[in-house]
This record gives sequence, structure tokens and C-alpha cells, in this order.
Amino acid sequence: MTEPQPFSPKSVALLEEIRKKYPTGRAALMPALYVAQEEFGWLRPEALKAVAEFLGLPEMTVRSTATFYSMYRHRKAGRNVIRLCTNVSCMVLGAGTLKGVLGNVYGLAPGGTSPDGRFSLEVADCIGACGKGPAMIVNDDLHTGLDAKKILEVLENYK
Amino acid sequence: MILITINGKKIELDGPVTIFEAARRNGIDIPSLCHHPALELWGGCRMCLVEIEKMPRLQTSCTVKAADGMAVYTETPRVVAARKAMLEFLLINHPLQCPTCDKAGECALQDLTVRYGAVAGRFEEGKRTFPENVDDPVIVRNMERCIMCTRCVRMCDGVQGAFAIGVVGRGAGSHVEPFSGGRYNCEYCGNCLNVCPVGAIMSRLHRYTYRPWQMDKTVKTICSFCGVGCTILLEVRGDAIQKVSPAFGKGVNNGLLCGRGMFGYGYAGSPERLKTPLVRKDGKLVPASWDEALALAARRLLEVKAQHGGRAIAGIAGGRCTNEENYAFQKFMRAGLGSNNIDSTARLGLLHAQDLLEGIFGQGAAANVIRGIPHSDAVLVVACDPTRTNPVMGLQVRAASKAGKKVVAIGHAPGLKRHMTHHLSAAFGHEGIALAGLLRELLRQKKALPGENPEFEAAIMGFSELPSPEEVRRLAGVPEAALTQAAEALKDVSTSSIIAGRELAASMDAKRNFMLLAAIGYVLNSRFFLVSEHPNEQGLIDMGCTPDMLPGGRPLALQTFRERCEHEWGARLDPEPGLTLMEMFEQAGGAIRAMYIMGENPAFNLPGRKKIKEALEKKLDFLVVQDIFLTETASLADVVLPSKAWSEKEGTYTNLEKRIQKLAQATGKNHEAGMEDWRILALIGRLAGLGNMPYASASDIIDEIARVSPLHAGLRYEDLEEDGMMWPYKGKPLRMSGGMQPLPAAKAAATLDRREEDTGQTGPALVIEKPLFHSGSLSRHSGALLDIMGGPEAKMAPGTAAGLGICEGGSVKISTAEGEMVLKAKLEKGLPAGAIFAGNNFGDAGALGLFGYELEPGSKTPVPRAEGLEITPL
Ligand code: SF4
Ligand code: SF4
Ligand code: SF4
Ligand code: FES
Ligand code: FES
Repeated sequence: MTEPQPFSPKSVALLEEIRKKYPTGRAALMPALYVAQEEFGWLRPEALKAVAEFLGLPEMTVRSTATFYSMYRHRKAGRNVIRLCTNVSCMVLGAGTLKGVLGNVYGLAPGGTSPDGRFSLEVADCIGACGKGPAMIVNDDLHTGLDAKKILEVLENYK
Repeated sequence: MILITINGKKIELDGPVTIFEAARRNGIDIPSLCHHPALELWGGCRMCLVEIEKMPRLQTSCTVKAADGMAVYTETPRVVAARKAMLEFLLINHPLQCPTCDKAGECALQDLTVRYGAVAGRFEEGKRTFPENVDDPVIVRNMERCIMCTRCVRMCDGVQGAFAIGVVGRGAGSHVEPFSGGRYNCEYCGNCLNVCPVGAIMSRLHRYTYRPWQMDKTVKTICSFCGVGCTILLEVRGDAIQKVSPAFGKGVNNGLLCGRGMFGYGYAGSPERLKTPLVRKDGKLVPASWDEALALAARRLLEVKAQHGGRAIAGIAGGRCTNEENYAFQKFMRAGLGSNNIDSTARLGLLHAQDLLEGIFGQGAAANVIRGIPHSDAVLVVACDPTRTNPVMGLQVRAASKAGKKVVAIGHAPGLKRHMTHHLSAAFGHEGIALAGLLRELLRQKKALPGENPEFEAAIMGFSELPSPEEVRRLAGVPEAALTQAAEALKDVSTSSIIAGRELAASMDAKRNFMLLAAIGYVLNSRFFLVSEHPNEQGLIDMGCTPDMLPGGRPLALQTFRERCEHEWGARLDPEPGLTLMEMFEQAGGAIRAMYIMGENPAFNLPGRKKIKEALEKKLDFLVVQDIFLTETASLADVVLPSKAWSEKEGTYTNLEKRIQKLAQATGKNHEAGMEDWRILALIGRLAGLGNMPYASASDIIDEIARVSPLHAGLRYEDLEEDGMMWPYKGKPLRMSGGMQPLPAAKAAATLDRREEDTGQTGPALVIEKPLFHSGSLSRHSGALLDIMGGPEAKMAPGTAAGLGICEGGSVKISTAEGEMVLKAKLEKGLPAGAIFAGNNFGDAGALGLFGYELEPGSKTPVPRAEGLEITPL
């Protein structure tokens, strides 16, 4: 009579690895949240509960910690997440225009998801590529030196 | 010795305390918002800033310890300016809803703004907004008012140990909420509300019904729900309880409460209260005058007595009635009616547990201070979950855990899941086997026994055939490693506390269980605590509401003592002990012809319900019931006499520590409907010419108790101020602890029956769930508790459900030889496999009705049995 396991075997393996690296469940929480986010798409309540159960932490502790950080996805996201930097350097180099392009072409507003579920847009505060702005991160990939044309070319590679 | 000055005043301190505390002790008021004496230090609000000579910056007095030679100033212009600045910051985002906020008048932020003067806000940005949240039945959340002091979170995490709420979001978006963002689904202790300095989280029970300054009075009294006996404050307006408030710094509970105590008070003002006496006419209960009802009761009791003798009458005392009422009850039964057939629901376990423990360690073996629990090195919780049955005692176990002490639980204790260091997950009813295994391991691992009592130690060493860890796994389902590790953790403690549940005594193996418990207690130098479900369960035992004991715990068999009572009461006493609780019902219609039941509901609260109802309804010639509601039992009576609720009378309760505490009358001055139970008895006694009860008040009865009971000798009502009085009061116990008796028949008793079933193979088991929010007959009439948990359910682990083909929310039929019941299934992870939990809290679905019983031969304690259990999904 075993309870159903909310994580896939792959995630469980990752989580086991993480748990081994940290002395307490609390210490392992932040990396574990990334795994859950991968598995569940975003940190929806089920994801937080699953992490809590896996690490033996109170659900509320997990939620408090998770919501403190803006790098986690706290909303349902599209298949690809765009983090467009709009901090000073990138803004000066034209990030505002790019935001407009994403709006016109994909119907994306900051914090929103395109109607076809293909992209979500988060505006980020400096992603450390200031010298080569405007910059964005799509999923795990960094793209720099963007302009209105290049951004669309890049995004064509994400379905 | 530490010498400091505060505002020039010289202050001597004998230990290191914070400046804030030093000031408070000396009557110097330093404002604070985030500091609370019940909580961990935090130092976040900066309202308590003070100036200290030679320190360049202002310091938070709530976190800085006073050091020798410090010169502290609490209201310099610099300090005042800083506080004003803090208030300005707080008010930027504060909605200033004082005209409609329930907290206005007792709000710390409002008071401080008045004290330091309002500031003209210089911020032009809009205030943050959060809609008021009313998703929860009893807690309303208004996060715009929150000042982020985190008192509530520190309370819920650090003290309550429920981890139900937390700060969500960051920066200006931070707010406090439960995991769901809506309903709390928590332990509903209300302790978070009680420490919130502003109106951000409040009880919905009294929302918008009054302003704090409109309260007529605040009355300090004792909670009416369980044997912890928490001190509470009743806030009264008109003749109604408006709210229960905590009394931090006072009582057994030091201001902490549980859901029943905090939110359950509504029953006293329930419209379902009995308003007049009722008498049965043509088979129906109809309202009657007091004169008529009392006369009828007196006449019929006399008739039964004349016809069948006093022994044909049986009485059941009430664990919710006061000491005075229970004393009057047994006197009425013994001296008036001539019957020793007096018992109570303490027979379900507490009485036997106490007898066994006192038989070994002497009277008062379980009279220990609850607040001492966290000071022992280890806590052993056996066959109970104190966080459910006696929640505030449970908090002390959690406090022990927080303080790094060992907490070992034997059996099912879900409320300690996060707080125990070791869990011996013995199957239900098999906790004794785990005890035996633990003792064996302790004896094996310990270098030496304490050596205090060689005779006792010889008896312990003589225990034969204690089971090996492997056997304990096989017989009780406890993993071997858990057992050896628990013993390892316990073996070197210098003091410990043992908390035992009544199920350990409601067992055919009760003697063995308590021998083992006593032996472990001896080895670990333990103090004992017995959980107690009713607020005066202990008191009724001490008052002589048992078939064989007189007040003060003196055996009826003692002639000198009997004579003392006879002399005081002016009547001859029957030297033969009477019938016990279950025997009374078994013999109804035969030896027993009439029953008198005071504040108890046996037609609901006992196993074997079908037979009991039949006995009450058909087999008795006459049944009198005193109660505040028309309970299952009262509705079968010939005469029903309405009594007063706990908030309407004076008197005393004795808690599970054996501490006597005073109730205070808060409401009911104009309540003509009910009378104190003792008053009703006295009136019937007078009409029938029985007994002599010339009392005008509860305090008169205390005086008599003090004359009759050697234990209470010299006790006066007036002596019970502040925190009541601990056992042995001013009197003499029968046998002091220390005079430990050798374990009688220890060898035989500790031998396990190796034929006991292999628990791995048993089918589903039905377990009576003791929910945190309900106690039974009273809580059903409390609207708030019903809102929190509205109805019965059958709880089980998802795996168990899957095995039985049951799904969440589906209907489950549970049937036994005693009857059947359909409940909604609720799946909960982590419950023991195979167990189906159902409560005995709701009228039509009290799961105790599915249990029959067998009597433990010596004590006549009913051991519940669910024979022929079948569980079918519908
Ligand atoms: S009522 Fe008690 S358990 Fe619930 S959130 Fe408040 S402190 Fe925590
Ligand atoms: S809700 Fe009350 S107690 Fe909790 S952080 Fe806000 S102001 Fe403080
Ligand atoms: S622990 Fe017991 S006495 Fe204390 S508030 Fe809760 S029910 Fe009342
Ligand atoms: S400002 Fe855009 S990457 Fe730093
Ligand atoms: S009371 Fe000292 S910082 Fe809040």
C-alpha cells in the first residue's frame, strides 16, 4: 500500500542528489524548488506540497521561502519562458522597443503568456550581460545584442 | 548582580535580562510592537529603541541584554524622534480604518500613534491593497492592517508548532496567510489572533458586535473543555460571553489556548439550551414547572427506594460538573438514597490508570506540573496524542522538542509528527508490547539502575520474557531500529515525563501495561501525566464519585473513614461497594430500577450503545437527568432538570495535575432556566426528606469537603486565588509517593502472550478518532466548532482506501455486530495502514455506537471491541 509519488523517476533522482548535498531539508529547499518547477511547469500548490513532503518540511515554510524569490515561476508559464532584461543598460540600448515587438508579434505582456501557450514573458532586472545588451534569457539560453529583427529570429527556434 | 540605571533610576538585576524586561519589572514602560513575552525575540519593529550612554546608536531594548553599568534613557528627544519616524513608516501603508476596525480601543498601533502624535505622511505613493479575506469560518484576515511584526508566525511556528501560516511575498507585497491563501485548515488554536497587536487577523465570532470599551466585565475563569484546566478570560456584555481572551502570564497555560477553549464557548449561549424542566407525560417529554418536576423526582425516587431498597438506584456523576456538585451528588446517593452505585466516565480508563499507578507509587502519582514537561530531558508519550486530547499539554511536549529534548511517541500521535525524535509506531492496542520491548532494551543498554529502591529493582529485573526487538516488530509492527534507537536516546536521561492515554488502561492487558510503564518510569526517573478528557474528571474521582471510594480517595471499606462521613452526613452508609458504570446498565431492570444521571450522556459516550439505550428506555422504572441540553440520554428520561453551564456558576474544577481551580460566574445572573447541579440535588433531597444539604453557595460545600476529606482538610474557597492549589492541598494523602510498592505479581504480568496476533496480518481496524475540535455533547452546540469541522468522516490513508476500493469523498458503510453507519471517506496521508478513524462527536454518527465491549475483570473497565467489522464502499 504505497502512496503515489508526485515526482517522475528523473526528478526523484535529482532530488535525491540534492538532498545528499545538504545537511538539512531546509538547506536543500531552494535547489529542490527548481526541480519541482521543471516537473510541474511552475510552482503551483501541488509542486510546493510535493517538495514539502519530499524534504519533510512544513508546506507553509516551503511556500514562504518560494514566494520570497522572484526567480521562481509563481504563475502558470508557457512552453518557453523569456526573461527580458529591462534594467538600465538594456533599457538604454532599446529593451523598451523589444518589449513592444513581443507584444505586437506574440501578444505578450510582462508577466503574461501568449494565447497559444508558446511563450511567457518575464521582465528581469539585470541578467549580468550589460555589456552586450539588450539581453534576454530564453529557458536556459542567453541571447545578447538583440534588436527588433534578431529577437524574432532567435525566438523562431523555440516552438 | 547587575546594576544599571534607566532614566536615572537605579535598578539591580540578579540575572541577565533584556533592557526591556528590566524596565518592565520596574514599572518603566517602553513601547513595543513585535515583542511578546510568549514569543522568541525578534527585534524587527524598532519601536523599543532606547538611548544607552556611550553607545553611538539607538538600541532595540527588547533584544539587548542589560550589562553592568549601563545608563539607559527611554524617552529622550532622539528616541522619540526615532519612534515617530517608525510610526510614520508603518502608517504609510496602514489603511487607518479605526472607525470600523474591531481592534480600535485595544490596538497597539493606535495607542502608540496617540502617544507619540500623528505625523503628516510625506509619501505620495498609493497604499498597498489586499482585499479582506473571509474564506475562513472563524478567522478573518485584513492584511492592509498588518504591520509585519511576525508575532503570529512566531506563535504558530515556534510555540504552537503548527507551521500553518507564514509571510508570503516580499517587500511591500509581503503579507501573512495560510498555505491555501484562503481557509486556514490549521489547528485553530487562535493563539496567533491573540498576539496580533493590530486588527490584521481577528476572530469572526464577534465581528462588528461591540467595541472593546463597551464590555461590561472581564471574568477570569477556567476552560470547560478538557482536563488541562486552562485559565481564560471571559469578556461579557449584557448577559452573554462576547469572546474568550487569553491571560498571558497566568494559569497552567500561560495564555495559550486551543481551538475548543478559544472558539468553543458558544454552547453556553446556544438557543438549544434547556429552558425549563421536562417531565414525561403519555410517553412524551413536556415542559413542567420546577415545583412539579422536583416533586415528581423526589416522589418516584422515594418509591423505588421503598420498594426495592437504595441499592436499586444508580447514579452517574459528571466530569463537566464542579467538585462541589460531584461531592453533593455522591452524598445524595450514599447518605440520601443509600446507594454506593456511583460511577462516571472516568471508568473508561482514567480511574483504572490512576489506580494502577497509585497502587505502585502511592496516591498522587500523577499529580505533576504540566509546565514542567519541557524541563525534563525526555518525554515519552504512550498510547495517546496529547496535542488532540489535552492540546495545551501537547504544546508543552512540543516545547520540549523545540528545546532539543528527546520526544518518544509510542502509538499513533499525529500531532507530534514534527516534534518527536523517535516514533515507535505500535499498532493500536499493541502499545504495551512496545513498552515491554523498550524496557528490555533499556535494561540491556543501561549501565546501572538508579539504586533507590532495591526491592523495586529486583522486581524489574525479574520481569521474564520481555520481547526482543525482532519480536516487537512481529507482534506490534515497530521496526527494530526504531526501538533500539529510542532506548539509546532515553537511556542516559536524568529526568523524564511520561504521558499516558486511557487506552492503555482500557485493555485486558492494563495491569501489564502499567507495570511496564511504572518500571520504565522508575528507570528513567519520570513524572507521570494521565490525559483526561473532561475538565473535572479528576475532581469527581477525588470527590468520591466511585462505587468504592469516599471523598479524598479514601476506601469505603475503611471503617474509621466511613464513620467520619456518617457523622458529618447524619446517615448510615452501606459498607458494600456499589456497581461500576457498565454493570449498572447490564443490571438495569434487575438489580437496578432507577437511575440518576448528572451532566453525562451515557447513551452516546459509551460502547455498547444499543443495550444502554434499551436499558435507559425500557428497563428502568425511573430516570432523572440533569443537563444543559436535551442529550441522547436526557431525551430518554422521565424527568429532565436543566442545569447551569460552566460560565454561570461558581465552584471548582480539579485538573489532570490535581490542581484545584476556581470557576467564576460570568453570565447567567438572569438565567432563570437552569440551576446549579448541587442546588437541584439539595432541593430534591429536602423534598424527599433525604440527606442534609443546607448549602447556600459552592463555598459552603467546600467547607464541608474540607471537614470530610482528609486530603482537602482546611481548604477554603478563598484560598484558591491566582493559580489554584496543587495536590495534596493542605491535607494528607493516603500514601505519599516515595513509599513505592514492589510490583505485585510482576513476573506473571509482564509475560507476554505469545499467541497475540501477528499485526502484519490483521484486516482493517476501526479506531475512535479524537479530533481537536470536538469533545462530544457540548461542542456539537458550538457554532464555531461546527464551522471548523462540520460533520463526521471516516479518515484513512490513501493506501488503505485503495485496498478497500474507497475514494476520497465517497460514502463508506461501516458495520459491526453493534450496528452500521455510513460516513464520508477522507483520505489523509501518513495515517497508519489499515486503520479507519471515525469520531464520536456528532449525534447521528457517533462511532462508539459501532463498538461493543468486554469488561476488564478487576477494574470493570470496558474494553471496546468492534466485532464483525466490515467496511464497504457504497
Ligand atoms: S490558529 Fe493556531 S494553528 Fe492556526 S494559524 Fe493561528 S496559531 Fe497557527
Ligand atoms: S497579522 Fe498581526 S501579528 Fe501577524 S504580522 Fe501582521 S500585524 Fe503582526
Ligand atoms: S487545552 Fe483543554 S483546558 Fe486548555 S483551552 Fe484547550 S480544551 Fe480548554
Ligand atoms: S542591464 Fe540588462 S543585463 Fe544588466
Ligand atoms: S519591540 Fe523591540 S524591535 Fe520590536
